[in-house]
Amino acid sequence: MEKERTHAKTLKIGRITWIALIGVLILLVAPFFIQSPAFFQLMILILWYAYLTTSWNLVGGFAGVLPLGHATFAGIGAYTSSVLFIHYGLTPWVGMFAGALLAAIVGVIIGAPTFRLRGAYFALATIAICESLRVVLENMQKFLGFDINGARGILLPLKGHSPLDYQFLDKRYFYYIILVMLAIIFYITYRIARSKLGYYLVAGGEEKEAAEALGINVAKCKLIAMAISTFFTALGGTFYMQLVHYIYPRGIVSLDLSFEIAFIAIIGGRGTLLGPIVGAVLLVPAAELTRTYLGGSYEGVHLMLYGAVLMAVMLFKPRGIMEPLEALYRWVLRKFSLQPVIQTDRSV
Amino acid sequence: MNLLELRGISKNFGGLTAVANLDFTISQGEIVGMIGPNGAGKTTVFNLITGFHFPDRGDVHFNGENTTRLRPYDLCLKGIGRTFQIVKPFATKSVIRNVMVGAFCRVTTGHEAEQVAREVLNFTSLYPKKDMLAKNLTIADRKRLELARALATRPKLLLLDEVMAGLTPKETDDMISLVRKIRDQGITLFIIEHVMQAVMALSERVALLHHGEKIMEGTPQAVASDERAIKAYLGEEYVIARG
Amino acid sequence: MDIMVTTIINGILMGGVYGLTAMGLTLIFGVMKVINFAHGSFLMAAMFLTYYLFQLTGIDPYLGLVITLPLLFAFGYYTQKVLIRPVFKIERDVREPISVLMLTAGLWIFMDAFALALFGAFYKTIRTPYKGAVLHLGDVIISLPRLYAFLTTVILAILFYVFLKKTRLGRAIRATGQDRDAARLMGINIDRIYNVAFGIGIAIVGVAGAVLMPFYYVHPVVGVVFDIRAFIIVVLGGLGSIPGALLGGVIIGLVESLVAQFITATWTEGIIYAIFISVLFLRPEGLFGFKAEW
Repeated sequence: MEKERTHAKTLKIGRITWIALIGVLILLVAPFFIQSPAFFQLMILILWYAYLTTSWNLVGGFAGVLPLGHATFAGIGAYTSSVLFIHYGLTPWVGMFAGALLAAIVGVIIGAPTFRLRGAYFALATIAICESLRVVLENMQKFLGFDINGARGILLPLKGHSPLDYQFLDKRYFYYIILVMLAIIFYITYRIARSKLGYYLVAGGEEKEAAEALGINVAKCKLIAMAISTFFTALGGTFYMQLVHYIYPRGIVSLDLSFEIAFIAIIGGRGTLLGPIVGAVLLVPAAELTRTYLGGSYEGVHLMLYGAVLMAVMLFKPRGIMEPLEALYRWVLRKFSLQPVIQTDRSV
Repeated sequence: MNLLELRGISKNFGGLTAVANLDFTISQGEIVGMIGPNGAGKTTVFNLITGFHFPDRGDVHFNGENTTRLRPYDLCLKGIGRTFQIVKPFATKSVIRNVMVGAFCRVTTGHEAEQVAREVLNFTSLYPKKDMLAKNLTIADRKRLELARALATRPKLLLLDEVMAGLTPKETDDMISLVRKIRDQGITLFIIEHVMQAVMALSERVALLHHGEKIMEGTPQAVASDERAIKAYLGEEYVIARG
Repeated sequence: MDIMVTTIINGILMGGVYGLTAMGLTLIFGVMKVINFAHGSFLMAAMFLTYYLFQLTGIDPYLGLVITLPLLFAFGYYTQKVLIRPVFKIERDVREPISVLMLTAGLWIFMDAFALALFGAFYKTIRTPYKGAVLHLGDVIISLPRLYAFLTTVILAILFYVFLKKTRLGRAIRATGQDRDAARLMGINIDRIYNVAFGIGIAIVGVAGAVLMPFYYVHPVVGVVFDIRAFIIVVLGGLGSIPGALLGGVIIGLVESLVAQFITATWTEGIIYAIFISVLFLRPEGLFGFKAEW
């Protein structure tokens, strides 16, 4: 007899888990078989975006608001850990948590007043905050006594292969680090989605008054989600700095990056578990291709792809491509008479 | 023992008086009705009780405690549940998920929430539709869902805002039975209604509101046949069902 | 002292153009509750159009409006009809429709990136006979192209205001903005009004583009700054308020001019954002607006 359990339905069990496990296994052992640095460059980029969009998803997907300035927190993370490393020799492994903590605090401080704003106003506020931080960073040579060099940015002192300083020459280390980070944020999202906080976030985002009448402190839930999201986004910022060794305001605290994150998550399917990751897997390689063949030296041309795809998605599948992908997947299973053991109710 | 006490509640919006100096008490286990023409201030009273608005003057006491300035979510935890006049289901989510949100008020894990939700869905006869999306439900079922969701929070006092509106006579009968079942569970009920059939059948006591003031209070029969009630309703549309 | 006066005047004149751009945006906001993130991109398109018209035919931007205005109107009209309307319809009952927001954001990104791909590092202006001409009022120097731009803005604002208040179409537009369903019941064709309103909003941007070319440079991402300024001005002036847009524009133009002159140009953006954030939190309805329903 089938004991249906809604709660377990959000868990993809049975064959899906097997396929997923195999996929993860491949990802884990790939570095031992593939040597091309270009491949790792691309993979790291994909995983990094997947990581950022999954972090974003906690606020932009579950809480139901539209943050369009999330790069702010990547910037806070990158700058904090770097400044602490340069001035105090504090290893970025520790410094990144300082940055993440700072980002969480800033996120809550920003969130408290902005969550009261209606949809578009909120989006505009996040844009304004992101740009404000960029302007501030560009105009200050020192911040609280630390050198940040304004628009010229910070160069990380190179230590070669120095694991304790979060510096590696071989890209494969970074590959594993971001893979682990992605796994962590994915797991956290998964747990939240099935928890009280997850249900409360989604409810509060959909019908605020009804949620409040049911005992949900909507504002508090959103702030918790914001703190978690910004914390992890900041960690992603530090990762980026350790990877490329150089940051400048327009490069990390940029509207471009903020929009990319939001776009990818939305195209993939905000509010779903895999949506952001699927979005990154599909869009980042496509964007890189566009950049190689069309971009030349003009920063931003590859965004044409994001813009076009976003418009198409909004016109035809506003909830993102996860839904049709899932439907396609079920169709394929049925065709090969492999009955799926999954049911979904449209979101996690 | 007085479960709910309104003492001298007043509320103005701009220059408009919505509620004027209202005194009212509800005892545990009662089913009390509030009637009055549109715009009489009934929903505002609900909003004042449940923390969506704060009164300009007066207090709200629930279970012996002054709850006047508490927010809706705190009041829910204290045991006040409500439905809304225009139902607000989580439209893109399934019925059971809607109810689980309510259930989480009293439990912590997803499994527990699902248990509670199943119970409540059985109680309200919505179980067969548990996987349907809320937006695909009929009006009657949406009202049921609104009720079920509030019930999942295990309220001591349940405020129902026009649950009978828009229902056919048969659906109204079903809803009346459900409300009675709820009372039999020990939940106190405070009901705003226009549908006289329901008011008569359910309420032990009724208050008549007009222009924000309590005009009179008494048994449903006494109030409905009183001259003041007829005057208040004159010119308004209302539904009177025989019996 | 003269520097102060010159700075103030130039700020006001430039502010007029900002206000002009914002006027189109506030119309679209006010009537359709649509956030048109791509507004600046339309300005960029208008500027390119004006540029090429001048380069190829020598027609002055102001005269060229006869051609560019209908083109921009059509551009706006069909963008609304083909792109925005379908998305809008799906989301009609959703509380906070972000799909339209994202659609216009996607359009913004696409248009700018497309222009980048097409024109690359393009950075040109046009040489009209009055380019660089100035007016001397005592020791105060006023740039003539900017003065023309400002005068055009004021005239257009007045005309537009009259249009909205007195003509049938104008009243229909306002009615639709106030209560869409009531307007529909009155027999107004909502879809057509939306298309027309968007078209007018973009046409206004077309005027802005034309008056900018004599003294400004056009390049693929010129729209970004104007876009963000326009949003700030609309919030500052109040959603749906034409006088608010003009006044807000002048304020922003003044701030920009004064900050650039007496502090540093690089802080301009920061201060403008600070103003924006303050308004958002302290008085979200702006100077002339009412608490937005949407």
